[in-house]
Amino acid sequence: MSANPNEAETALAEAEAMSAPVREPATDMTGLAVIDPAWTNTGYWGPQDESLHPAILALRALFPDDVLGVTFFRDEVTINVRAQRLADICAALRDTPHLAYRTLTDLTAVDMLRLRDAPRFDVVVTLYSIPNRQRLRIKAGVAEGEPCPTLTGVYLAAGWLERECYDMFGIIFEGHPDLRRMLLPEDWDEGHPLRKDYPIRGYKQYVQPGFADAAPRITDYRRN
Amino acid sequence: MGLIENKFEKNVLTSSVDFLFNWARRSSLWWLQFGLACCAIEMIAASMPRYDLSERFGMLYRATPRQADLMIVAGTVTKKMAPVVRTLYDQMSDPKWVLSMGSCANVGGPFDTYAVVQGVDQVVPVDVYVPGCPPIPEALYYGIIELQHKVIKFETIAKKSSRAEAEAERERDREAARSTLVGAAD
Amino acid sequence: MSISQMAPPATGTLEITDERQISATRRELVLNMGPQHPSTHGVLRVVLTLEGETIVATDPIIGYLHRGVEKIGETRRYAQFTPWTDRTDYVAAPQNNLGYILAVEKLCGIAAPERAQYWRVIMAELSRIASHLVWLGTHALDIGALSMSLYCFRERELILDIFERFCGARLTTNMMEIGGFSREIPEGLIDQIEHFLKVFPGYQQEYSDLLTANPIWIARTRGVGIIEPQAAIDYGLTGACLRGSGINYDIRKAQPYLVYDRLDFEVPLGTHGDVYDRYLVRMEEMRQALRIIRQCLDVVKDHKGPLMLNDSNYVIPPHDTVLRTAEDMQRHFVWVIKGFSPPVGEVYVGIEHSKGELGYYIYSDGSGVPYRLRIRSADFVNLQILPHFAQGAMLADAVALIGTIDIVLGSVDR
Repeated sequence: MSANPNEAETALAEAEAMSAPVREPATDMTGLAVIDPAWTNTGYWGPQDESLHPAILALRALFPDDVLGVTFFRDEVTINVRAQRLADICAALRDTPHLAYRTLTDLTAVDMLRLRDAPRFDVVVTLYSIPNRQRLRIKAGVAEGEPCPTLTGVYLAAGWLERECYDMFGIIFEGHPDLRRMLLPEDWDEGHPLRKDYPIRGYKQYVQPGFADAAPRITDYRRN
Repeated sequence: MGLIENKFEKNVLTSSVDFLFNWARRSSLWWLQFGLACCAIEMIAASMPRYDLSERFGMLYRATPRQADLMIVAGTVTKKMAPVVRTLYDQMSDPKWVLSMGSCANVGGPFDTYAVVQGVDQVVPVDVYVPGCPPIPEALYYGIIELQHKVIKFETIAKKSSRAEAEAERERDREAARSTLVGAAD
Repeated sequence: MSISQMAPPATGTLEITDERQISATRRELVLNMGPQHPSTHGVLRVVLTLEGETIVATDPIIGYLHRGVEKIGETRRYAQFTPWTDRTDYVAAPQNNLGYILAVEKLCGIAAPERAQYWRVIMAELSRIASHLVWLGTHALDIGALSMSLYCFRERELILDIFERFCGARLTTNMMEIGGFSREIPEGLIDQIEHFLKVFPGYQQEYSDLLTANPIWIARTRGVGIIEPQAAIDYGLTGACLRGSGINYDIRKAQPYLVYDRLDFEVPLGTHGDVYDRYLVRMEEMRQALRIIRQCLDVVKDHKGPLMLNDSNYVIPPHDTVLRTAEDMQRHFVWVIKGFSPPVGEVYVGIEHSKGELGYYIYSDGSGVPYRLRIRSADFVNLQILPHFAQGAMLADAVALIGTIDIVLGSVDR
């Protein structure tokens, strides 16, 4: 937590106010749920044990200082790593013969604004090994404005996924050959929409070129 | 049309000519082949063998706006796409009509977000709105039949030929809409 | 023919700047294609750099249908979000529902009853056929076989009729629910699917007769757009684009979900990795989908099990007891108004969509709405290969290359 709790609380309240839905406190509703054993032991993500999972063992041996933690949830395995070594770690996972995580399934980010103080973003990399039929998730915390090493040198598929991530979150991928807006217009000047402090309706209405203001809408009447 | 446009006052003769031309226009509305999102799939389905929109109404899709009379805005208009929609509309030759198909094109639909224009009528003037998400082909039929009723009442001679006049008329419509809304609020 | 042997293009009035003049005889021409183009399957825009008729560089520009679906997902309760999944990939809506519902169920730790799982497979495979029919019709139309689109859309209506009877909607079905299906299967639906299974192989044989040995079709597709297996893996391709290059990765086999591990079907693989192989792969996938539906129908015909999970707060209570018992009415009220709160955690579920791997990644902070909802659509990743395999191809093949990836822009842009 931050040094000044009041500041953090104010920031939290502001962020809460900007989000559309009212958040309910988490309740334990698992008492009535039917837990499916298939979701807890499918083996699609490897052994549910730190001392048995080959990828965790290999990473702990190769990068002892850069593996920050391991999380198991349902059958999924998440390895938290230091962002500066992300590309090296992925290269090692790809090139180690018995791991062979040669497919980059997904690369995205999560804005942790309301959940923790620093670092702000989590870059989430989902890998897949076709020979072993196993997935693996790598997470790396990236602070706002701090560059994250690009994965384009390791996986060609990272090109567009990182561009999208930059477009939506504003995370700079250092060394990316073509880092520009992807889904939004090139001249978009309203920031990065998937950040948690970005309102869902954006900041501006669409104004047609040649007109001074936006056309009247029924929504205007509703808001007044 | 250019030969007789703005040459006559309105009278019996020209309104009969109007009727003739409008009958021809109504019976062969060629639409711009231009799909945006989900509604485009229903628009294609409507023009395919089961529903056979093209043959029934004398309609035909053209890929170039220069040869099209009708623009069916089928799908979500995003802020990135809106200038393109406007350009396509400007490229179509007069007389031209716009049919807004589906909730997204009408009012933004379920996508009340930063990236979506909340209604294509902010971009181009719309003649007929077809609700639905997406409208089934029969609903598109109904919209097109409504448009045909509108086309038959179209006045060739009184048509605003210049774009500035058309925009001014649209601005008056907007004012009327605005005053109606304000009145409703009171 | 190599690039240097090409004659310089007729410049006409097109502006050729100094930068584009490579040498005295070689010039580059930049051609814009889309976003309004009949062959880009929606609002894709491709900026092609040409040298004569040869494509030198390609820059796909997407985002013309970016609607902020992921942002919407962060503001809607879990059970509310399903209709938006329909509208991402709108030609295969049931499969999108399925991917999302499976991810939520995994997050909650629940699973649908067996009978509902079989019905989910039936609906997913029907929509796979419908999606492939749209692909086949438009892809063949781009290359020049106009009549294919008429035939394919005619048969697709049979599937849409089944969907309409099942859930009331043709295209945006919103048919899957958390925990199974809350309504009973409509009467006569099984007969309707039986009828479809009976007539469709004959129709598909017609498509084969029209295309598979057609010399024009072969000339336009064979040897065009070759993806090497290594490139397919490097670019993260999935679905028919990957299997067309001979790599055996089908999530239904590799990481079976629902009841796919109990069903007997085969995964077709290509050998050359060209447009023609991907066409054959998708045609065979339709036949295998029919086999899967056949086996599932045989099971559900006599299956009297429940369709919906009952004793869980994560699912909507059954409609009849809601009106009779106070507890269920209360549960129903809470479920609708407040939603449910799954445990804190993150899940990723990938399913074999008709276009490739469709993945839903949900990060839950324990509240009633997802903290982050990520849609990993197959065609967004698959489209990346376009600049790679379009390089050196002819301009006329550009539409074949775009068509063979099988993109839907709603799913690419989200």
